[in-house]
Amino acid sequence: MSRLEAKKPSLFISDPLTKDTVSQSLSLLNRILKSCYGPAGRLKQLHNGVGGYVCITSQSSAILGRLSVSHPVLKVLTASVQNHIARFSDCGLFTAILCCSLIENFKSLHVPSCTVIKISKHLLSLCTDYLKSEACGCRVSVDFSNLKTLLCLARSILTSKPACMLNATEVDHLAMLIVKAFMFTIPCHVETKAVLGKCVTVPVKGRRVLDSTVLPGLLIETPEIQFAKLLSVKRISSDTIKIALFCVSMSGDLFNPEEGTITVHHRISLEMSELNQLLNVGKQLVNDEVGLVVCQKVIHPSLKQYLKENQVMAVDRAGLSVMEPLSQMTGSKPIASIHSFSPSCYGSLKDVCTKSFGSKHFVHLIPNDTVVCSLVLCNRNETAWDELKCACETAEHVLQLTIKEPLALLGGGCTESHLASYVRYKTCSLSTSSFKDVDCSQTQYQLIADAFCRSLESVACSLSHDDEILTDMVYGHCWLVPSGFPSVSNWSDLLSKCGCGINSNTQNLNWRLLQPHFGSPTIQSCPKEPSVDAADLLTLDCFAAKYSGLQVAVETANLILDLSCIIEDQN
Amino acid sequence: MAFRDVNSRRHIGLQQLSSLASTGRTLLGPVKSCKFIVDESTNQSMLICSAVRLIESLDLTSAAGQLLNETIQAQNKEFKTGMSTLLFLVGAWSNAILECLQQNVPVSAIVSVMSEGLNSCCEKVQCLQISVHDVNEELCSSSVRPNTSNSKTYEIGLVSPLAGFGSIASPVRSADDNNASVISGSGVTASSCKQKRLTHSRYFGALATSPFSSQLDDSRVCLSGQSAHPCECYGLGHLARALSHGNEPNMKLLKSIVAYQHKRAECSGSSQFNIAEIVTCCLPGLPESCSCVCPGFVTLVSPEQATIIKHFRDKPLRILLMDGDLTEEYRHLGFTKPRNVRTVLDRPDLQEGRPGDVWLNTTLDILIRSEVNLVLVKGNVCENLMERCVANKILVIGSVAQKVLCAFGEVSGARPVTYLTQRSASCAGSGAQLDLWTASDGRATDLGELVPVRIRVRGIALLTAVLTTAVPAKMQLVEDQFWTFVYRLHHALSDGKVFLGGGAVELLCLSHSQALAEQSLKLANKKPVKEFHGPWLAASSAEYKSVVLQALASGWSQYLSAIMCNTAKAASLFEARTLIEHHLKQATDCGSPSAYVLKEFQMGGMFRGGPVPFTGSAEGFRVYDNVTAKTEAWRRALDLVLLVLQTDAEIISGPQSNQLLNSHASSEFMFL
Repeated sequence: MSRLEAKKPSLFISDPLTKDTVSQSLSLLNRILKSCYGPAGRLKQLHNGVGGYVCITSQSSAILGRLSVSHPVLKVLTASVQNHIARFSDCGLFTAILCCSLIENFKSLHVPSCTVIKISKHLLSLCTDYLKSEACGCRVSVDFSNLKTLLCLARSILTSKPACMLNATEVDHLAMLIVKAFMFTIPCHVETKAVLGKCVTVPVKGRRVLDSTVLPGLLIETPEIQFAKLLSVKRISSDTIKIALFCVSMSGDLFNPEEGTITVHHRISLEMSELNQLLNVGKQLVNDEVGLVVCQKVIHPSLKQYLKENQVMAVDRAGLSVMEPLSQMTGSKPIASIHSFSPSCYGSLKDVCTKSFGSKHFVHLIPNDTVVCSLVLCNRNETAWDELKCACETAEHVLQLTIKEPLALLGGGCTESHLASYVRYKTCSLSTSSFKDVDCSQTQYQLIADAFCRSLESVACSLSHDDEILTDMVYGHCWLVPSGFPSVSNWSDLLSKCGCGINSNTQNLNWRLLQPHFGSPTIQSCPKEPSVDAADLLTLDCFAAKYSGLQVAVETANLILDLSCIIEDQN
Repeated sequence: MAFRDVNSRRHIGLQQLSSLASTGRTLLGPVKSCKFIVDESTNQSMLICSAVRLIESLDLTSAAGQLLNETIQAQNKEFKTGMSTLLFLVGAWSNAILECLQQNVPVSAIVSVMSEGLNSCCEKVQCLQISVHDVNEELCSSSVRPNTSNSKTYEIGLVSPLAGFGSIASPVRSADDNNASVISGSGVTASSCKQKRLTHSRYFGALATSPFSSQLDDSRVCLSGQSAHPCECYGLGHLARALSHGNEPNMKLLKSIVAYQHKRAECSGSSQFNIAEIVTCCLPGLPESCSCVCPGFVTLVSPEQATIIKHFRDKPLRILLMDGDLTEEYRHLGFTKPRNVRTVLDRPDLQEGRPGDVWLNTTLDILIRSEVNLVLVKGNVCENLMERCVANKILVIGSVAQKVLCAFGEVSGARPVTYLTQRSASCAGSGAQLDLWTASDGRATDLGELVPVRIRVRGIALLTAVLTTAVPAKMQLVEDQFWTFVYRLHHALSDGKVFLGGGAVELLCLSHSQALAEQSLKLANKKPVKEFHGPWLAASSAEYKSVVLQALASGWSQYLSAIMCNTAKAASLFEARTLIEHHLKQATDCGSPSAYVLKEFQMGGMFRGGPVPFTGSAEGFRVYDNVTAKTEAWRRALDLVLLVLQTDAEIISGPQSNQLLNSHASSEFMFL
């Protein structure tokens, strides 16, 4: 007998943003994320409290992925940031911090939310138009004939993740590897539609970072026993090996229907008949002069023995992650059945050899055309390795995004403070017609613009955790004063370079403290574009990721400000 | 989700690290004080003497504790040595950094200065590295005592590869007895030495330029051209002694291993120390003097199985290797048994008996038909089958290590199979011999229930180090120490170089970091110095820099004084500090601290690490340490401490966070 339970009524919460719990949670989240930001960011220990794996990280993807937020407002925020990370990998913390700051700053103004939304949309388009225009003073173009900018991009990402535990030499080494891997993935012969190859990360934990390397082709791990006995491989010609790629299990287990039973006579062995079928496959492979068989899953030991006796190398348990690049690299189609397959599925390889890194052994598949490469990534401990893997993949992704749009933004907080200076300057000189366009008074506009700029500046300020941050009145860049010095009137004694490293302290740039909580002086002139790009070690950010991050942050903040009620289903 | 701030001035994580690490203080250095670990639930106790075993038995529920465990395990997995150093430095540097935090030094300054400081130290101590070749040259020449003439050479007594090496090193006979061999012998030595130098310089040169050449194959270290050596150490014995840090019994075992592998390699062409060809067999209950190295595989079998041996005596046996379990249910990895298959019988067949019998009979039948006498199985073996095999005079041994299977496969021609149905007759090998293992004094070995047997094939590369101890609680310890020692030699050869030991390296680090600290103080009140890339992690004021570098130095200082106290070189920490201060002062006064340390080391004066009085002349005795293992232990220790230092909050997710919400500790946490 079933029992019916009365349905609970839905919970209705009006004006969720005015509630204390929401603003407390929001400011806690903002505090957590701000403390993670930048190369000097503080790390977070994420664990389950009962002795599980301890993850130490400062990356938004790791933190947001493991945070369980309960409030719908926070859920909206984290979901849109995670969506941004999924598309661009980079600038997750920037997006989240900017969004939280915008909400907090706008909320404290007590201006009707519809006005706030209209004005902030206007301000956003002011920023995006500026970033896209040639006159933009905080972006540099990326020259692909010169590795310098690419290395800067990769280096900036690696240094902004302190939990990777890298020193300067290690950062340089890895940045070089990342750029090298990126180069491998660019096809040599571009037809109508160019498709980038893939870089597969091969984990070798416990070794020194400097032992990391990039190899063309793929590495598949094999147990030691197999490694010792890898025989010579049958070749079609000196530089061609025929390869068959199976994505179906060849372990000899039966197809496993979910329901029903199979009734078998006791003298018949299903296992034997299955094995015979596998051995028939083996015979066909040998007849077709296949030299290498790679199986995503397990190969039956008897079949392996048969193949080996016929000079066919068998590599099993390759895993799902290498299937797609392997098929791309060899031109083979993964075979999904052991009952019938055509020889057209076979692909070809240039060579096969074996490689060892530490205690791990690999079969190295070398293709004719290298669009697939393997990044053998080493780091001393587990959590630092995980962090490093994520950072390397981000850097790889950023380089791919940059090839589509060959631009980079100045990092180290300079883009944010420059953009804030630009908006402040622009809003001072806005004509009255523009206020009419957005249907507000000039005071309202000024208030919102100020809050918008303070939010941008607060992202730049989050880069500093112990030190003070300044901005100059000429370029609108960000400058860091190391702590431990008595406060002096002449800052130029202490400063040497701005955050991104493009400007050096050669002239008096009229510095002021960057303090997002107080009003700032009006700016008479448009922030200038720095004249030189001579500096080698620029801190650069991905253009596409930051551009999208800015949009996502403003739009999400607008969406949250626009919430008038929450209806929660309690059943 | 629960969120907890880690108090920044009294950093909880660093305190946890410091208290966990303090338990390992007595495990540092060549003279360790063992610890008894008592399991209160079973009342069993174990003697431990290494950081890995200590960490295994500690309660590590805190996040910092788990990270410490992970770090130590990683070092153990990679090097098998340096874990106590790592543990100690974690504690020492945690304490030192806590003091820096008390003085309001910002975290970013600590992180950048500490890691830079360590880098600088690692570069500085490179001058205390010495190539393995030079070590051999120096030690071997000092050991060949000048006689009436300098044309004295030793001839290696022929040792049958099948003879058991006792605890005494292989017989060595002076070639002075034979005039003819003196002349030709010395001539050969001179010319081969010249050649050797060339091959070596190339070998080490390659090492220096490409870091990968030595790492490609870790399990096999080749030293070509090492063959004709003027003394009995085969090029490695003296190095082994210098790395043994005074552990005489292990050194003797290793010398036998080196001698055996050297002889074997002479036949095959290249000399090598191959760690993959060494296994251990632990025999608790016998006195430690019975420890020895035997060619072949020594293992323990039941008395019933041992009775088969007398039938086999001196007969070459057919051997089968299996790389899975030998049970009816066993299937290779990745095979899923179908659950919904029902077998039907059309007529009941009473003769067939129990269902398991069919498998048992077929298996036994295959073994008998393929005339196999000996089966080595990687996994488990079915009990019933084992019994039936004994009755049919087939010896089946389970839980055999992978490298044992490989070694037998290589010399007997056997190929490992997973199932017996896999045409196993053609995969069987031949030529195995089986006998009972007896201790060197010929004493019958009574180990209660199990009997040690030895399996070998002519020309097998495998060596078993039979480790014995009269105190069963010490067994684990003896085995651990043996492996540590084996790996030390292995790493020395794969690095191609060693550090001067006995505290020389640490003293130079201490002196160097103090010098850096003073230097930065001199620069005080000047412009901040820029390091690292980009300004964000760079500038820190000179005062901070000096404080942090002093913290780094205090780690070395604590390390040295702990070792001196452990080895009774100093009666108290105070005395140890005084002695260190004395050396530091002399080092600075002499102008070049590295030259001072080098000189002191050569005189054997400083903190001589040899606590065990050595037989023979003392001047030939040197202590060396591994290079990579040591510097990696430092780096791992500092990385862990800095990782914890930079952590400002714990985020606890999952069901535990809901419990925290309702617990009394909920005030410590914030919830999202």
